[in-house]
Amino acid sequence: MLGQQFINGVMLGSVYAMVAVALTLSIGVLNFLNFSIPGLFMIAGMATWALIHAGVAWPLAILGALAITAAVSLVVERFTWRWLRGAEPFVPLVSSMAFLLLFEHLAIAWWGSEMRVLPSLFAGTDWRVAGFVIGVPQLVGLAVSIASIFGLSLLLKRTSMGRSLRTIAEDSDTALLLGVDVNRLVPVVFALAGLFAALAGVLFALNYRQVQPFMGEAVGLKGISAMIVGGMGSTWGAIAGGLVIGITEVLSVGYVGANFVDIAVFGLLLLILFVRPTGLFAGLPAGRGGI
Amino acid sequence: MLLEARDLEVRYGSVRAVRGLSLQLAPGEIVAVLGANGAGKSSLLRALLGLTRAHAGKVAFDGNDVTRWSTSARVRAGLVLVPEGRRIVMGLTVQENLLMGAGQRRDSSAVQTEIEQVYQRFPNLAARRHASASVLSGGEQQMLAIGRALLAAPKLMMLDEPSLGLSPRLANEVLAHVRDLNRERGLTILLVEQNTQRALEIAHRAYLLELGQVLRQGPAAEFAADHSLLDAYLGRGQAAQRPTPAQLTT
Ligand SMILES: Nc1ncnc2c1ncn2[C@@H]1O[C@H](COP(=O)(O)OP(=O)(O)OP(=O)(O)O)[C@@H](O)[C@H]1O
Ligand SMILES: [Mg+2]
Repeated sequence: MLGQQFINGVMLGSVYAMVAVALTLSIGVLNFLNFSIPGLFMIAGMATWALIHAGVAWPLAILGALAITAAVSLVVERFTWRWLRGAEPFVPLVSSMAFLLLFEHLAIAWWGSEMRVLPSLFAGTDWRVAGFVIGVPQLVGLAVSIASIFGLSLLLKRTSMGRSLRTIAEDSDTALLLGVDVNRLVPVVFALAGLFAALAGVLFALNYRQVQPFMGEAVGLKGISAMIVGGMGSTWGAIAGGLVIGITEVLSVGYVGANFVDIAVFGLLLLILFVRPTGLFAGLPAGRGGI
Repeated sequence: MLLEARDLEVRYGSVRAVRGLSLQLAPGEIVAVLGANGAGKSSLLRALLGLTRAHAGKVAFDGNDVTRWSTSARVRAGLVLVPEGRRIVMGLTVQENLLMGAGQRRDSSAVQTEIEQVYQRFPNLAARRHASASVLSGGEQQMLAIGRALLAAPKLMMLDEPSLGLSPRLANEVLAHVRDLNRERGLTILLVEQNTQRALEIAHRAYLLELGQVLRQGPAAEFAADHSLLDAYLGRGQAAQRPTPAQLTT
């Protein structure tokens, strides 16, 4: 029972972790708390449902949802970043919040506000290993999250683009004077963050098979918490934070009761921050967990 | 002319940091830019590189009108800045900082050779190539900033106060490297320096800036001989650096 709960917690935690990685990319490189990311998570989930509902084969539906969400993230870049350059620092934050609300209400207008249920695509494919039940989408989802986060850290660490992103993260004026084309890289950051939010949304939709226009809010709040608990700006911290929250949440549902979930989760977060105010992984040098 | 700026104007709100300034550099020259604090030296260099927008004026570099070019296009063309305060990226290793200098280049085998050449020139960097740049001393950071600029395949290297904050011995060492780069590779250099005397020793020509304008320009030797001019406009205790009568007579 405990082991099964733990597996479920890791799965939920990996969704939070991916949202936290998306937020971390934006904060770490651009110093921008991008509130549209929970909205992008929701768009990916709703689009997965809508495409499958419209009869699109599930692999294409997944690709479609990822592509749509990344494209929407680029639109967000235009409005919150490019056209507001030189504005006060909180202006992009507020306009990204406006995007979250806009997305939610567009989703209601388009798809309605009720809970939508995805068909069970992978019924009967569950693995039973040593008494544990592991769903194939769970397993594949976990593998995809690990691979994509690993890929991101390789990109940041080993490639010329990664070095440029880390330089922008430290000081964008220095990046500019070294000849980095910052305006070309900012959309890349938005697209990457959009993709991570989208992967989380697709995984959520396929695993929990329920989506609705406000699904981003709770997950976004936990993603932000995961990022802060992990230590702002550190990708590995975001992952650790996401897993801690996911596992705590699932275990407290099982052992304390559904009414106490948020008390357990956020109580633990406060405790961690009380002991380590800078978060679990704060202050890691760039390229080794830091962005 | 490798670089030609005409009637350049830089403003920050109502502050006119550079006022209708014109300046030329021929290939192979070392040109010093002198001036008191706030004279507009850094603003001039930043405007030449396109980091700070020039409100008026033209900049031509290597046969092109680059006035409307982005900074990254100017860097690719070989116009490179070693900035005030060095601006080393502390989150990267020494080698990664050098690679940032080469970031715009595609010829990776040439880049590898040049990285090794930088390490030969600055052995202190070679010993720490895979260490975080944050462990470097001030002098080593300045060497790294120069090495990083070299990796960009510069045609013109602009240096903004490279000896700032260094001991006199290290400052001399840095300026000697600058002179060597000019002599060995014919690299053209635009040098903003507070250490007026040393700057004039290695420069061929100089500009004296005051309130964003060129007060005087000419061969470096003429400036070096005119102590009253330097005392009057630089006001940084140049008297202390003036040779004693005993030195003058020998
Ligand atoms: N970003 C800025 N915003 C507003 N004013 C500025 C800015 N940068 C420089 N200035 C002003 O422009 C003028 C020229 O500054 P600049 O830094 O170019 O001088 P400088 O000759 O490099 O001085 P220093 O020897 O102290 O480095 C100064 O009056 C300065 O206060
Ligand atoms: Mg200056």
